[in-house]
Amino acid sequence: MPELFVGKLWDRLIKRAVEHRVINTQVLFEDIVKPAGILFRALGGDAGLALKISQSTHHQGERSWLRRVARSEEKIELAWRDDEALYLPSSINLFPDASLNRELYFWLAALAVEIRDGSWFIENQQATARLLNKFPGLNARYQRLLHATLLCRPDIGSLSTDNAAQEEILRQALTMPGYKSLLPQAQYPWHPVHLWLHPSPPLSANTPSAPPARLKEFEQNENSKLVAQDQRKHKAERQDIQERKDGFMMFFRAESILSWAEYIKVNRPTDDDENEDAQRAADQMDVITVTRDGKSTASRIRFDLDLPPEESDDMPLEEGILLPEWHYKKNQLLTDHCRVQSMVAINATPSALPAHLTVTAQRIRRQFETLVSVRAWQKKQDEGAEIDMDAYVQHKVERQRGAFVANNGLFKTLYAQERNLSCLLLADISQSTDAYVNNNMRIIDVIRDSLFLFSEALFVTADQFGLYAFSSLRRDQVRFHVIKSFSEKYNDQVRGRINAIKPGYYTRMGAAIRHAGSLLSKQVSHQRILLLLTDGKPNDLDWYEGRYGIEDTRMALNEVRAQGIRPFCVTIDEKAGSYLPYLFGAGGFIVIHDPSQLPHKLLSLYTKIIP
Amino acid sequence: MTKSVASISEVTLPRVASEIPFYKPHGSEVELFEHAFSQQLPLLIKGPTGCGKTRFVTHMAARLKRPLYTVSCHDDLTATDLVGRHLINDSGTYWNDGPLTRAVREGGICYLDEVVEARKDTTVVLHPLTDDRRILPLERTGEILQAPPQFMLVVSYNPGYQNFLKGMKPSTRQRFVSLRFGFPQPELEQDVVIAETGIDPETAKLLVKLVSALRSLKAHDLEEVASTRLVVYAASLIKNGFAPVAACRAALVEALTDDEEIINALMEVVNACFGE
Repeated sequence: MPELFVGKLWDRLIKRAVEHRVINTQVLFEDIVKPAGILFRALGGDAGLALKISQSTHHQGERSWLRRVARSEEKIELAWRDDEALYLPSSINLFPDASLNRELYFWLAALAVEIRDGSWFIENQQATARLLNKFPGLNARYQRLLHATLLCRPDIGSLSTDNAAQEEILRQALTMPGYKSLLPQAQYPWHPVHLWLHPSPPLSANTPSAPPARLKEFEQNENSKLVAQDQRKHKAERQDIQERKDGFMMFFRAESILSWAEYIKVNRPTDDDENEDAQRAADQMDVITVTRDGKSTASRIRFDLDLPPEESDDMPLEEGILLPEWHYKKNQLLTDHCRVQSMVAINATPSALPAHLTVTAQRIRRQFETLVSVRAWQKKQDEGAEIDMDAYVQHKVERQRGAFVANNGLFKTLYAQERNLSCLLLADISQSTDAYVNNNMRIIDVIRDSLFLFSEALFVTADQFGLYAFSSLRRDQVRFHVIKSFSEKYNDQVRGRINAIKPGYYTRMGAAIRHAGSLLSKQVSHQRILLLLTDGKPNDLDWYEGRYGIEDTRMALNEVRAQGIRPFCVTIDEKAGSYLPYLFGAGGFIVIHDPSQLPHKLLSLYTKIIP
Repeated sequence: MTKSVASISEVTLPRVASEIPFYKPHGSEVELFEHAFSQQLPLLIKGPTGCGKTRFVTHMAARLKRPLYTVSCHDDLTATDLVGRHLINDSGTYWNDGPLTRAVREGGICYLDEVVEARKDTTVVLHPLTDDRRILPLERTGEILQAPPQFMLVVSYNPGYQNFLKGMKPSTRQRFVSLRFGFPQPELEQDVVIAETGIDPETAKLLVKLVSALRSLKAHDLEEVASTRLVVYAASLIKNGFAPVAACRAALVEALTDDEEIINALMEVVNACFGE
């Protein structure tokens, strides 16, 4: 299509004509996300908020003729905060100096701490004033940013009269924050204020009446290619699903490409393609309409595919254990909200250790033999609790004989490496572990190897351990697979069950942790460790995702800690750094970048956390 | 490997301190200590590192005019390190009192710092001392010491410490009157910093604000929180003319973490307070 080609070429040329910023002053969100998060929390921001990339929004301020032709700056990215996350631009390239761009990120993160509800114009000024008053060190930074910002703002002379008046007031409000209370109206909206937060942040899709379903079409897609871009939050509006009995409606009009933005729930349940254009279109949209039931066609289909035939399913051991779940918005523990079913694989055939692991297992067994705890008197010590009578008598005799002997090695000491611990390894075997990590291994295979080697090692040290795995399908079916209970011996039967683990379903982490905690608390040991092995965030088919899932998991972990259990997490989720500190604390987890290293890392970790 | 506590304290025998060290009370802890002392009750102080536990005990010992025996517990500390042991000299063996025994004999205050660090069997020797019997049996010499009314046992530990696997046995913990220390309120901490270093109130206020900000990162980004002691260090550097940002880096930020990325982030917080 030549029109398309020419169109793209024109777009590139004209945009280049108006963009005169130097590209290497750009600062990216990824580079500052961690420090900006720390600053945000240190200055008093809510630790439960994640940091995300803001969605670009439309901007209709007065622009120069050339910019209007180029349609440049139509979309801008500003920062804002809601009760789920703090949103920052994906990159900042506003100033000709990279350090200033970086400082702007930090400024926005700091301002987001102070901002409260109220008029955008007044509240931003007052938040700025409050912040500068509280943290005087920011004054110099603000002055630098202010100076650079004023240089970037449109020339007052070039604006129409009412816009010029508006711009004048804005400039004064920026220079002396806290004194201006009214922003005059003008024909065009004002030029965006990059030092302030978003004037009308895109609505969060979480209305209190509805479950916190964000746009699952995008978020739940397990294709990493799509997920990678999907830290963006889409401005969403809710619309009740229209009930039409006849259901016959022309959903698709070929001539109207804009229909993408109007209604996403098209009646095409078999169209499951991951359309790159659709993803791009979604990124560029201001508003995506989702239906109030919050379910996408794709996830509904996935749900059906996930269900294994009844006869090959594992056998539920009992009717189920009812466990609570934490609802962070209601701030209450919903009692008997989840049903955990303990299961044991029925078709597991007893087996030996897989051949590819025998050599590694042998080496690991040797390494771990040194950890076997012993407690014995060590004789001939220079210092110690007791006199080493043998040495002392001999010493005396030698002295009596007139020989010269030194006064050392006459004591004995009780040298003990006490260890009395129980360790429960809980593996996440949700559907996502079916992904491949390299050419011949899936995540589930790596987890299986880890379970084998972990058992080999702990069998040698004689530490108490249990192996469990979990997955979930909504709150009524949290599947808790027993691989090895604490009382069982590690034998061929257990190895057979390790072999039988297979990926499926979702990750309702809170319930699984609670149940694991109750199993572990029954163990009589001085130390109890819960090791969680996972590949991603908590999520389930219903509203168990995002902050809800994180907060429930956090609550479950707190409950477990209160029982004197130390939870620890090993994850292969690259993005885990953004939420795991909130759950496990700074030293409570490790992220493994190369999943094939998991078995080794797991064991070296174990040797580090045991006393 | 085991450091002989007995032989060290032999060299520097604690005496009643001639002047009372500075201590600014947070609440009623001074009265509680005095009552516990007069009622012969053992005291347990819990609180994060550097919040003033040791200073408080030193202050109280001087105030009550009792010699103070401080033992910093570690995981190789055995019961013999506390009670005493037989040593050998040219003429044979002789008994050497440990710090606990000596405190009992003299009627002093014995302060076991970070008591959970000690092995669990070690703390069992404290049991007969901490109930109404108030005796210390010396198993190896056959002596049974009756503690005089002036003897007091004080132990401390840090509940949120990294060493999560160690806890205090309930049977030990339930023998003590407990006192919880936290970091002082900002105004109080400011007063402490000023009193310790003589720094100007404006800088002290900013330092305390900074340290409160850093403390709010506990558990999420940092494992440890900045103590009042570190604030005092930073203040003395600044008071001596060292640049505030660099002083905060050296005394506060670098002390909290080794991770360079987190250090840079914490420096942003420092800059928010002292930046130029």
